[in-house]
Amino acid sequence: MSRLRPVDDDLDTGPFFAAARRGELVVQRCARCTAVLHVPRQYCRACGSWESTWEPQPGRGELYSWTVVAHQVHPAYPTPYTVVLVELPDTGARLIGSLPGEPALQVGQEMEVWFEELAGGVVQPNWRPLGPETDQSHST
Amino acid sequence: MAAEYEHRDRCAIVGIGATDFSRNSGRSDLTLATQAALAAIDDAGLVPADVDGIVRCSHDTVLSHDLADAIGVQDLNFWSEVGPGGVAPAAMVGQAVAAILSGQATTVVVFRELNGRSGRRYGLADTAPDRVGGAGSYDEFFHPHGLLSAGQVFALIARRHMAEYGTTREHLGHIAVTCRERANANPAAQMYGRPLTLDDHLGARPIADPLHLYDFCLESDGACAVVVTSTERAKDLRQPPALIRAVAMASGPAPQPGMMYPVLMRQTITELPARHVAETLYRRAGVGPADIDVAQLYDCFTITVLLELEDWGFCKKGEGGPFAASGAIGLGGELPINTGGGHLSEGYVHGMNHVLEGVRQVRGTSTSQVPGAQTCLVATTPLPPASALLLRAA
Repeated sequence: MSRLRPVDDDLDTGPFFAAARRGELVVQRCARCTAVLHVPRQYCRACGSWESTWEPQPGRGELYSWTVVAHQVHPAYPTPYTVVLVELPDTGARLIGSLPGEPALQVGQEMEVWFEELAGGVVQPNWRPLGPETDQSHST
Repeated sequence: MAAEYEHRDRCAIVGIGATDFSRNSGRSDLTLATQAALAAIDDAGLVPADVDGIVRCSHDTVLSHDLADAIGVQDLNFWSEVGPGGVAPAAMVGQAVAAILSGQATTVVVFRELNGRSGRRYGLADTAPDRVGGAGSYDEFFHPHGLLSAGQVFALIARRHMAEYGTTREHLGHIAVTCRERANANPAAQMYGRPLTLDDHLGARPIADPLHLYDFCLESDGACAVVVTSTERAKDLRQPPALIRAVAMASGPAPQPGMMYPVLMRQTITELPARHVAETLYRRAGVGPADIDVAQLYDCFTITVLLELEDWGFCKKGEGGPFAASGAIGLGGELPINTGGGHLSEGYVHGMNHVLEGVRQVRGTSTSQVPGAQTCLVATTPLPPASALLLRAA
């Protein structure tokens, strides 16, 4: 059984995955008051605007929390693996990623994005610890 | 403003009924619901023909008129449902109160049934689809990375609480052990006769670290029901009424959409909507945390209880762990909790067994009775929004 793939053409969230296919990490903001619209939605409750933009983000964030999944609940997700919750600077938006096994992690450590290609041309942003070898090569 | 408080003490829970709690009931959802409802109606000294309203949870497979038909209701004049899932039970009782006080019903059965172990298990991911998310679910941001269950979400919350406040696995263990001790005194509990030590808790296998086996509730088969009527009518019935002092539902601002996963995007993940439910319930009831004699706190996981202790104001934010470890939540402590064993050790009926145990406490019939208990908080306050009720002895 293959890993689950995200619906990447949803009316509200599709542009996030379209950007990922271009190798870009984006977060939605209100075009009028710049409020962050995350998880994505069209209407800005802060100012009442229906106009929004998808703003490119630096490909780094801070590890907000993580869990090591040890008990398997889905056949395509053998354990152990680690789910990470990463907070982006500036926007405060948080995104989920995953790492194989149970790496040593610390809340607050710096993480970097990478783009995971799934079957059928679907691409999703994923996250890994910022390592010394990747420190300079980061390109997003 | 006064209008908001007009439901205070005007309705009561007059009957309670439950099936056994097990890993495999061998009965249909409809049979479980029917058994619990009939038991609750009988406990009240009523017959099914007296019932004119039914409230269900959105996660039930049994519809209101399914149950009406099964038990022999003559004319169902009111039905309603609340969800999602475990945030519903107190709010379901609130629907009954609203129906009675607005003249839409006189006698309302509130029920929750599930074959949660032998049937659809909430602890397992749905394996059917290959593509996930879309259509407002937002699952596309979570499931593909293997975030697939409520326990994993609460594990992320627990880790963050540990980082922010120094909470430890041992703190969580005290909550598991406390609930187990109450279950050991309750013959109806699935963990009756099966003690649990702090060492057992700490040494158990990880499920979603930092949460281990005994931080998780018991997936269960079973059903619970209560009968709600007016306080006036309750006087003529068989049982001492459990007065519904007040009910409250609250989301707080910016609750985030979806069933569960987007709550990880809230400004803080170490606070539950319980804080907002508490504010509203205390105001409506005219009481504060110091007035609560005993509490039934929603315990899908130990960490949920720890957060509730803080968000309901029983201790300061961040001090839930030391408070739990101090003995305060044990029988004889300042706030005994989950006196039937809770979801962690009695059974998981999605919060409805907490309502029943709350009624037993103010009736004085719990297997872990708090001497002289006059007020019992029933908090069905996990995520995303939540509800609670305050019960009072007549």
